[in-house]
Amino acid sequence: MTGKNKMLQALKNNGVKYIFGYIGGAIMPIFDEMDKMGTFTFVMSRNEQGATFMAQGLSRASLSTATPQVGVCMATSGPGAMNLTTGIADAYMDSIPVIAVTGQVATGVIATDAFQESDVVGVMMPISKQTYMPLTPDDVEHTVHEAFYVATTGRGGPVLIDIPKNVQDAPVSEEYHFDANTFYPDLPGFNFHPVPERDVIQRAMSMINRSSRPVMFCGHGVIASNAGKLLQQFAEKVNIPIAFTLHGLSAVPADHPLSLGMMGMHGTVEANRAIMEADLLISFGMRFDDRVTGKLAEYAQNADVIHVEIDPSEIDKNVPTTVAINADVGETLKVLLADPMLTCKPRTRWLETIESYRKIMAADLQEEIASCVGDGGKILMKSVVHQLSELTQGKDLIVPDVGQHQMMAARFYNFQTRNSWFASGGAGTMGSSLPMAIGVKLARPDERVWSISGDGGFQMNMQELGTIMEQQIDLKIIILNNGYLGMVRQWQTLFYDGRYAGTPMQSPNFGIIAQGYSIPYRKVEIPDDITPALTEAMEHPGPFILEFICDPAEVILPMIPSGGGFGDMIVKRPGQDVSATNEAQGEE
Amino acid sequence: MKRRAILSFMLDRPGVLNKVSLLIRKKMYNVDTLTVCSSRVPGISRMTITLREDDQAKVTQIIKQLEKFTEVISAKELDTDHSYWREVAIIKLEVESSRLETLKDQYNFEVLEQKSEDNCILQVAGSTSQIDNFLNEIGREYLIEIARTGVTAMEK
Repeated sequence: MTGKNKMLQALKNNGVKYIFGYIGGAIMPIFDEMDKMGTFTFVMSRNEQGATFMAQGLSRASLSTATPQVGVCMATSGPGAMNLTTGIADAYMDSIPVIAVTGQVATGVIATDAFQESDVVGVMMPISKQTYMPLTPDDVEHTVHEAFYVATTGRGGPVLIDIPKNVQDAPVSEEYHFDANTFYPDLPGFNFHPVPERDVIQRAMSMINRSSRPVMFCGHGVIASNAGKLLQQFAEKVNIPIAFTLHGLSAVPADHPLSLGMMGMHGTVEANRAIMEADLLISFGMRFDDRVTGKLAEYAQNADVIHVEIDPSEIDKNVPTTVAINADVGETLKVLLADPMLTCKPRTRWLETIESYRKIMAADLQEEIASCVGDGGKILMKSVVHQLSELTQGKDLIVPDVGQHQMMAARFYNFQTRNSWFASGGAGTMGSSLPMAIGVKLARPDERVWSISGDGGFQMNMQELGTIMEQQIDLKIIILNNGYLGMVRQWQTLFYDGRYAGTPMQSPNFGIIAQGYSIPYRKVEIPDDITPALTEAMEHPGPFILEFICDPAEVILPMIPSGGGFGDMIVKRPGQDVSATNEAQGEE
Repeated sequence: MKRRAILSFMLDRPGVLNKVSLLIRKKMYNVDTLTVCSSRVPGISRMTITLREDDQAKVTQIIKQLEKFTEVISAKELDTDHSYWREVAIIKLEVESSRLETLKDQYNFEVLEQKSEDNCILQVAGSTSQIDNFLNEIGREYLIEIARTGVTAMEK
């Protein structure tokens, strides 16, 4: 038995079925052994970055299934490993468990600037939850088991294992012994308290009962803890409206009467206004990111904050907490739901006030969506998303890229399936959608998966069409092509006097690209074709690419300028009524 | 800015020092002193970090993020009222021995080597300010070389 056997055995013991990656010199022994074993399905990405997002997609989508899996990506040393960094940093920001295995040059030549040598552990350390380099074959198996434990325990995150080539090939010692069933990592400081303490629950409960204008926050922790249903029950029992972070979307059906939709920079008026006026924020599994809070000094000034969060370093980081509950979201909700103090209040005035906020932009948006086209006569992204939502009844899995179209999808898809929204949030990595959707589809093969990208993001990882072709991944791919990097263009419109520096973008003929990969394609330029085209893609067995030619002037509103407070919210389109937009300037 | 000492116990694993220093850099501090040594328990290291920060919330945040590292067993801030902060300096200097005699009662130093009448190597232990005062009293112009360990600290 050798290091490579132990590596693969440990992956198998941890439930790994898919390995995403790209071979190269320093990882050849493991690939060779993998081929001989025949246990794993290898999915070759066309760039190592793609493999990290495929692994993320698998981890994200499978966590709510009966068989959660941790995505594994594999690459060679040097450039292979360096190509993983963006996807690993992305997984770290979004707390996604991923195991990255990289080959390293042999121990004898490490630190000699050997061919394809990079200090992978050094590079990955600040962007991953943990890094390992086993230096003997005896160290491999327990390292891999510890890596899975660290990646999935508490707040999830990516873990790197950098394994030198000679360690892969060398035999384990004669006295080697390892039992996966009895293994428990020796990490005395790595403790979690999933169940909340009684006294904080009581303080939280009395605060909830006392409040008259409460808002509940549904963050990524609700998804990660599979607690959407519990959160919904709790919200219904206490009759408190729910605002969602970008990653909290789909934990509760989007059209639930208590849903305020997404909060923050591109959140709904009702969510942001409610937060502004709330006397209590009950936040479940989120980290008060700057895109959520805007200017901290002006954030929810009259509200007490109950913060339920598994990671203690997030508590009091950005927003001071009144009651901190350092525990798992699901466990906390179970305790809260069983609490005899739980009371349902009518909160009539508060809910009426919120209803009035819902109306502020509703008519404008409805009119815009119904018109389907912008002033220049080109299709609106929000109308495409709206029609997709109607057609699929909000049941499909949505994997957006990053940018304007992502916010459109977040706002206008009517999520009905729990854990059906998979987005690069914290890092905001353009190009994430296409490879992430591959992982999502492999995790949930019986559900329909839509990858929605802009023309910019799509071209960042377009090469993964090769993987889709090779693996026959049944993805429905939407390109919302407006000829610009839309989100930056929107900022330029609002804050840079309409100077479009670096945002206009020429795209290739996507039809010919699709043909090159033998994937059917349809281009849509008129509103009447939107639903027929979406239907055609849905009904086609196998991957399908739809390109919509969109209006570059479309904006996603409301918008709170970066660094601005909720009072600076822009609700009117540029040119629509200039006096309604205010002077607040953003900084990116 | 207020000087802070953070005491942390951690598993003696490769890369842990790197992680700690990355965190401190990421938080945009320049470390004042950093000392690492083995603890009473084999396999567990003891690290004392001093840095300057007035805002208590920021210090708490560093400690929480230190505790987040899988290798870190505990991290806490030590204040001067409830802990001892000490360091050692080895000093090579050119000064008349009679002058050293006058300081003998006041400072805790030991002559390691008397090279000549006015040239010696000595060690002095104490708090940072005691060592600073000793150096000032001798006169910094007489120093040839100085090596200081940085602060190590212990709760009372």
